[in-house]
Amino acid sequence: MPDCTVVVITYNDAARLPRAVRSVLRQSLHDLEVVIADDSSTDETPRVAEELMRADPRVRYLRRHANSGGCGAPRNDGLDAAAAPYIMFLDSDDELPRHACKSLLTEIERTGADFVSGQISRLYEWNGRMERYYPSLFARRRVVEGIRAEPELFLDSFTTNKLYSVRFLRDRMLRFPEDILYEDHVFSTELYASSHRFAIVPWVVYHWRRARDRSSISLSIKEMENVRHRVVAARRSDDVLRRYGAGDLLPARQERFLRQDLRVYLNPLPTRDRVWVKEFAAVVRPYLAEIPAEVLHRVDPMTRVCCHLILDDRIDDLRIAASSLAGSKAPPRAAVRSEGRTYWGTTVAAGMDITGLRLAELPFSASRLRHEVTEITADGDRVRMTVHTYDPFGALPAGWKAFLRAGRVKIPIEPRPAGEGGYVSEITFTPRASCEPRIGFTRLSDGHTTTDRLMVDPGLRPIELPGANVRTDGYAAYLRVRSRSHVRPLLGRIKRALLRRLSTPGNKLRCYKALIRLLPPRRNLALFESDVGKGCTGSPRAVYEEVRRRGLPIEVVWSVAGDRRAFPAAARLVRRSSWRYVWTMARAGIWVDSHGFPLDYPKPRRTRYLQTWHGQGIKTIGFDAPDLRADFDQPRARWRAAVARWDALVSPSEEFSRRFPASNGYTGPVYRYGTPRCDALVRGTSRYDVRERLEIPDGRKVLLYAPTYRDRAKGSGVSVRADLELMAEELAGEWVVVLRTHPVEKYEVPSHLRYFARPAGSYPEINDLMLASDALLTDYSSVMCDYALTGKPMLFYIDDWDDYRRSERGVYHDLPAIAPGPCVTTTRELIDRIRDLPAAHASCADRYAAFRELWCADERGDAAARIVDDFFEARFIKERFIKERRVS
Amino acid sequence: MSVVFACLDADTLGGIQQVTHTLAQGLAGRGHDVHVIGLHRARSPFRYVDEPLYRQHVISHTPMDSRSRPARWAADRRLARLLGTMRPGFAVMTSPGMVTRMAGAVPAWLRPIGQYHGSYEHARDCWHLGSIRTRYAELDQAVFLSRDDAWMFAEHALLPNAWSVPNPLGAWPEEVSALETPRVLGVGRLEGVKRFDRLISAFARSGAPPGWELHLIGDGGELDRLRAHAAQEGVGERVVFRGRVPAAEMPREYLDASILAVTSEHEGLPVVLLESAAHGVPAVAFDVSGGVRSAGPVLVPPGDVDAFGQELATLMDSAQERRRLGATARATAEAFRLDHVLDGWESLFAHIER
Repeated sequence: MPDCTVVVITYNDAARLPRAVRSVLRQSLHDLEVVIADDSSTDETPRVAEELMRADPRVRYLRRHANSGGCGAPRNDGLDAAAAPYIMFLDSDDELPRHACKSLLTEIERTGADFVSGQISRLYEWNGRMERYYPSLFARRRVVEGIRAEPELFLDSFTTNKLYSVRFLRDRMLRFPEDILYEDHVFSTELYASSHRFAIVPWVVYHWRRARDRSSISLSIKEMENVRHRVVAARRSDDVLRRYGAGDLLPARQERFLRQDLRVYLNPLPTRDRVWVKEFAAVVRPYLAEIPAEVLHRVDPMTRVCCHLILDDRIDDLRIAASSLAGSKAPPRAAVRSEGRTYWGTTVAAGMDITGLRLAELPFSASRLRHEVTEITADGDRVRMTVHTYDPFGALPAGWKAFLRAGRVKIPIEPRPAGEGGYVSEITFTPRASCEPRIGFTRLSDGHTTTDRLMVDPGLRPIELPGANVRTDGYAAYLRVRSRSHVRPLLGRIKRALLRRLSTPGNKLRCYKALIRLLPPRRNLALFESDVGKGCTGSPRAVYEEVRRRGLPIEVVWSVAGDRRAFPAAARLVRRSSWRYVWTMARAGIWVDSHGFPLDYPKPRRTRYLQTWHGQGIKTIGFDAPDLRADFDQPRARWRAAVARWDALVSPSEEFSRRFPASNGYTGPVYRYGTPRCDALVRGTSRYDVRERLEIPDGRKVLLYAPTYRDRAKGSGVSVRADLELMAEELAGEWVVVLRTHPVEKYEVPSHLRYFARPAGSYPEINDLMLASDALLTDYSSVMCDYALTGKPMLFYIDDWDDYRRSERGVYHDLPAIAPGPCVTTTRELIDRIRDLPAAHASCADRYAAFRELWCADERGDAAARIVDDFFEARFIKERFIKERRVS
Repeated sequence: MSVVFACLDADTLGGIQQVTHTLAQGLAGRGHDVHVIGLHRARSPFRYVDEPLYRQHVISHTPMDSRSRPARWAADRRLARLLGTMRPGFAVMTSPGMVTRMAGAVPAWLRPIGQYHGSYEHARDCWHLGSIRTRYAELDQAVFLSRDDAWMFAEHALLPNAWSVPNPLGAWPEEVSALETPRVLGVGRLEGVKRFDRLISAFARSGAPPGWELHLIGDGGELDRLRAHAAQEGVGERVVFRGRVPAAEMPREYLDASILAVTSEHEGLPVVLLESAAHGVPAVAFDVSGGVRSAGPVLVPPGDVDAFGQELATLMDSAQERRRLGATARATAEAFRLDHVLDGWESLFAHIER
């Protein structure tokens, strides 16, 4: 008896059947059987199946006498024929990954579950990309004691990603309905209703292959019959639950219908014609009408709006609303506001409430306009189009100018007020590079700009132009330009390929080492770098400005790793890690930075390196930090060599001098003049007007939220731990959060929170943010030490303190004991403290003073000047050794 | 059945190699045709088994850090040729680096197995997790040190083929510690990852009764820092840095110890924990991996030095408690006796053959 039966159902799919069957025969589980259940194919299937059987005795072939028209009957045939104690189902156009059978079999044997369900993954054949289906459902490997424990599992209604106990299916007489298309929905509902114990595994057990031109049942969603079957399947599934006395689970099943089944049709709705939409609405309406209002409330606002439009038979509106579901979620054409709430369309109705999207309260530069292309034609190598712009939330001010941006080209346009509201523009442009054109409006009063893409009819046929075409794809249907790639001349290609081959990090380092042996550095050339090239800020900038102010005869080159806009116009820039950068490192007689120049690059013999370091605080650093505490010696050796390059270190405080040099193995000279970076804070001088740049409304206070990163989850966004949603609800009337994430962190503020939280992770100058803010919220970031200079309130959200201090990172100080402000562990508590901030701040006055004394006692506002005195001026008189000296 | 173990360097002195040669000898003793392949010759080769019942092969006679690209290609060809001569069976690649290098060259008649000697937590904090996620899922089996580790890799690296077999104990001692010498033992390289600074602090905060000492066995770059740290914590006189002790003399050390302490940042399945348990010595350890948990020490949340000190204090105060936990430790260590571990490997082979 084999361990597992795999039923491969097929109908007129002789071309792909062997691929499916072979994916089973190649399984790491050898002891299995394949049952090909043929729904009476009229093509080559019998012959192909014959060959497969001949090639491998584990293959059996069953053939129905007449076509059943669905998947249910052949699956039942396979189930009846199964010889093994466990069974899986596979469609002839899909595949099983190699360990699917064995891994599920091991799991069902281990857990004794009725069935095991695994992750299903879509495989897009045209680009080979894989996309897991609702990975959160499968994230934990677990045994579920009945569907009631996790009703959201109704979202997994597949029958193919599971391995079943045959005995369980037979005992419960579980069979697939044979008269409808979505037999799997009904089957899985009954499966869930009958099982008290099933298991879930997180790995991928099924590859659902999707070709572009497919006619499989589940994808022929254009057919109205298909919609009917889906509704019937939903009704029957509900009946199953009632029959099993599980009526309490109906809302969860219905929520699945709204979130999944309905969206299958709603997303592509803009591509359908009016007649189709009308009929579709008529088909689903009776079922929707039965779904209680509280279930509708569980889904997102735009799906809910669509449901209500279906119920009200508002077909044209439905088509417009559906275009906001996919892609970047276009705003509506019109909206009304009433008593603080926002409604889709032109009338106030409970079902149309879209307040939760918070589209009406966005700052101007993030506000949303809807641009619909109403006509578009080719004219020689140009495109002519008419665009209707809707401003549903009244974002546009009295004075503005507008433009179209296509790639790097920006063309002024002149939208005119349209009769029925909004604006109409006649635009002519010549598409060149591939891009998604956007229309922008610039507010004349302050220069802020808002842009949005252009929506076109999804049925638009590509417009061919010389060198490019204009088209759209996807359901969101944005206008796109695709330029045809032109072939570069052969010589150019060879040159590029050669250069790419040569420009490896290894070659650059080798070249550099040769250079510094041959060429002496230039004493008046300085290389500056701040935040590893990410900006022109911090202490290097302060030192640079002092050098410039004095007009010292030093040529300064700045290293830049990305955005060049934040750099002073007069500065010479080199791209970090480029050949020119390597050359500049070799030639510069002075290096100044705040983190570390590329660690493997030895310093030229006579170059002098000023390490200004970017912060001080409670976190462990150097050899005490996790990245150098790992099991490998190489990073430690590397860092040791990198630190040995420093010729002088800027120390902000006695506390820093006590910890930092020791934990980095640094023994050289230390400047104790304060921190150049903090001079601006002491003097209170800003570079930019933050409130204006970040569009902080008048009368709103600014809470600077600056969490540090988590060592085990850099770039994951987990450092933003306070519940911004709750904070927005409670505080939006009085506060705006300016969210300064750490440079190694990636976090995108969700669009529905943009009205409250301004992303400022890449804002060019953090000092300005500190000066413009009314209070600081942080966790363990070094920013707290600089912020103490402002004397303004601080709050500490330290919900993971124990984990952070013990294992995630490690600390030198007991933050709750020295914190110059309240420490909280829940957002609720945080909100209470913010509401009562003056009192909370006052009660910490003593600790605040002590904290400031500990970290900021040396800050006088003249650190840059004194360091330039020593490091830059003195060397022109004579080279001398700098000893640590205290501020008098 | 042939069983091929492949290491980057099979004759260097180290944990992976120790385990590999012990398993190789054990499986050969059970009649398997066993080969141990080292990709590189060690700078100072170490002989693990006096009379090996298995065959050893070295692909490159140059040490690891002196390789050029052509030399590497030549080595890969020699490796593929050698694998081609093996009889049907299993190829065990002992590290992510080895899997990357070799998986493509394993012939169809050798079922590829990827082994990982670190904990999930260690893999997560370095490049190993990404490598395991992409490479190990393709193999017939991915083998980890403990059930918890296998579970974590299944969840976070989405491995469908995760399995676990623990590391074996080299020998089973007849004699157990009397647990009367007032001595806490810490064993390992004096490097940051072992966090002996935390052990010293915990020892200092435990209020150890007079007479109790902390002995640290091993050498490394942190010696001076640790000595200074001990002095700062006020236990400079009571922390004894013993330097390196030959493996043959380690049993004596266990017999002379009353408590073993493991404060590392990362541990896979530490052999010291198993060996001390086999000698009936109770242990206190930070709960840093499934491997550590499986060896059954008194567990302390990672990094909680005060709690660690308290657990040490409890054990130092009560000989009865030490004897109770020591007996339990020895019973737990049974599962790691070579025979049981070899059974584990053979049932793994049977599972692959299903």
